[in-house]
Amino acid sequence: MTRIAALFVPMFPLAARLRSEPELLTEALAIVEGNGNAAHIVAATRRARTKGIKPGHSLAQARSLVPKLIARGRDVECERTAQEALLEAAETFSPRVEDAGEGLVFIDVTGMERHFASEEELGKAALRACDNVGLPARCGIAASKLAARVAAELPKSPTIVPAGGEAAFLAPLPLRRLTPALDAATTLQRWGIGSIGDLARLPEPEVASRLGELGRELHYAARGIDPRPLIPRAMPPEFREGMELEWPLVALEPFLFIASAALDRLAKRLEVQGFACKRLEVTMNLEPDGHHARAIELPAPTRDVKTMLTLIRLDLEKTPPGAPVTGFSIVAHPDRPRRAQLSLFGPAALSPEKLATTIARLISMLGDDRVGMAVPVDGHLPERYAIGPFAPPPPPDLKRGPRKSHGLIATRVFRPPIPVEVITRERGNGELEITSIQGEGDISGPVRASAGPWQTDAEWWAPAPGVREYWDVELERGGVYRTYRGGEGAQWFVDARFD
Amino acid sequence: MHDLPILLTPDYRHILSFVSAIPLSFDFGPRPRPVPELPPGDPQRDDVKRLRESLSREVAAKVMNATELIRALDKARRDESIPTTLAPFDTLLGGGLPRGKMVELTGRRATGRFAIAMSALAAATSMGEAAVLVDLGDHFDPRNAEENGVDLRRMLWIRPKTLKQAVMSAEMITATGFQLVVLDVGLHPIRGRRVPDAAWVRLGRTAEAHGAAMMISTPYPLTATASEAVVVMEHARAKWLGKGNAPRVLAGSTADLRLGKHRHRKAGVRASVELHVAEASGQEKPGTPTRRLDDSSTRPLLVSR
Repeated sequence: MTRIAALFVPMFPLAARLRSEPELLTEALAIVEGNGNAAHIVAATRRARTKGIKPGHSLAQARSLVPKLIARGRDVECERTAQEALLEAAETFSPRVEDAGEGLVFIDVTGMERHFASEEELGKAALRACDNVGLPARCGIAASKLAARVAAELPKSPTIVPAGGEAAFLAPLPLRRLTPALDAATTLQRWGIGSIGDLARLPEPEVASRLGELGRELHYAARGIDPRPLIPRAMPPEFREGMELEWPLVALEPFLFIASAALDRLAKRLEVQGFACKRLEVTMNLEPDGHHARAIELPAPTRDVKTMLTLIRLDLEKTPPGAPVTGFSIVAHPDRPRRAQLSLFGPAALSPEKLATTIARLISMLGDDRVGMAVPVDGHLPERYAIGPFAPPPPPDLKRGPRKSHGLIATRVFRPPIPVEVITRERGNGELEITSIQGEGDISGPVRASAGPWQTDAEWWAPAPGVREYWDVELERGGVYRTYRGGEGAQWFVDARFD
Repeated sequence: MHDLPILLTPDYRHILSFVSAIPLSFDFGPRPRPVPELPPGDPQRDDVKRLRESLSREVAAKVMNATELIRALDKARRDESIPTTLAPFDTLLGGGLPRGKMVELTGRRATGRFAIAMSALAAATSMGEAAVLVDLGDHFDPRNAEENGVDLRRMLWIRPKTLKQAVMSAEMITATGFQLVVLDVGLHPIRGRRVPDAAWVRLGRTAEAHGAAMMISTPYPLTATASEAVVVMEHARAKWLGKGNAPRVLAGSTADLRLGKHRHRKAGVRASVELHVAEASGQEKPGTPTRRLDDSSTRPLLVSR
């Protein structure tokens, strides 16, 4: 027997807005649809409702009741992300989830009784999951989508409809519960039919002959028969959060404040699914029109909000959008967080997630070319190097001893090479030797000993080939340096110190 | 043997299962090594105590449960040092860079400071440990480091622009779990302004909290009282081959090491460290691979003489 759970968020536009701006929960807030005189209330908070504001009132009527009413327009982006969050909360229970839109989702919970003590416990768990993503939902569980939805709309939650008891469950409910926008409602009211049970008791052919195909479907629904199957949605490849702003933002800090809340929600959603973010896409709607999009690659999958926010901040500081921002959306591309088996007897292994987060924070502080794994590059010019992503191999299972040091002198390179003036003289055997160097700081003074030249001819095919003569030079005041003569004008440089 | 049934109850199965997995239990000498006690309040404490009492002394010393095993391994790991495998330096410090402590290496001009840092990185990475070089002066040469035996795959290279960034980076990365952190502040003058002494104290405490060996390589004293030990490098001398009109080749350098300060050892002890240039073939220490003047893998130059 199929069992379907419906999760329903009452006053969805309001719930979606409060999810983005939870500080408005205790205020007299109304969600408005339409502009100017056509603006009317769609949903309002409890504080506003107690003052008499109802859905359908015009904004002017509502303001006459509550002069300090906070009015917010319907935010498509907010509602879309809230619906996504609701779907993701549902997907923690079953992979078969249908998106019915406007704060309603259906979950195929057939076979879930093995994981929960009762269906009521399952319903309570689903409500807790919705609460965790900031959406106050109601839950109904029945054998059909229709009965589950009607059950979810009832104030007592969770409502469980026993298998086969759909018709009995629906019978005492008013007819508007079946479908809120019922065209045939007036006709049925004229017939004296007030409840769903009254309709179910009428003979089906008679209803069909008078109301047509709609009447037949309505009669089926009244008897608790819903032939529509659950159509599961495909898993989305990305996670999105965003909102439209009440007024355009010019400064960076207020934008980051709102973006931080959106990233926080994203991180929670990623955590629920067991994902981390490997790439962020930030799209900003600009005033008066147009948009600005950018992508930020993360060094490793992470869910750390502070890191992601810092990367967005640095990116925006580097290339500002150039116009006031009226709305934004942040898309997180998910990836599995790195996992590692820690060793008991070998060297301590690094936690991949912790490492990824720290590296991302370091990159955000220093720049992406200043943190990573050093990579030597083939070639004869010693200044060549590259920096790659740091992904150390796993440590050995058992401890091992260190390899004996080569005891070699190290070179401390100067980036860029320091230009110097060099005085040379000819030795008795006709070879040159350096007698003095004039450079900056310590690299200046008479030379005690020098050796060279070592010639290199690198990249002869390039427009400026690396033809150089290298010398090792020890100064009287101390310090052994590597110098070379090369480039245009055969200028002298010091490019390293032996240290 | 009235306590024997206790050994077969489910509560003790996991204890017994670890007996065979404890390497320490098989190296005991004539006297059994003391087993670390469980912390007070641990519900297993009394059970383990009764179990040990029921066994003979030799066997009881070899019984260890998982909590004790992890504590013992962690303690053993923290008591260790990371050797640089440069004998004079390791001898001065009593075995190498102590884990959980900060050691300052001070030396002006070409004293071999960077070479010791490279040796420490090479030793740690060859042991399979992850290491970090915070390179404030941007002086690191990957190819030279490979020659020195550094496994670049296990070494994270950080290039901050100021001393403040360098200290912050070192602190952040130490907290990640790296076992060796080398902070090379470069040459005189150090980039960026000085940081307050409290920053070094904090860095030392971070190293202690995470059991990381930390080496600060600096041209002049920086860390004040925050360091466990200060090693001063001085009197550096270059060694050359070839005299008179013969061609000259740089062979290496020697420098004096002096223990400027140590919390547990006598200061003022001296040693001398000798370093070699890879190309000076025939001068390598025994066991090092022979390198030729025209070996471009050891030095990126084409030699013509």
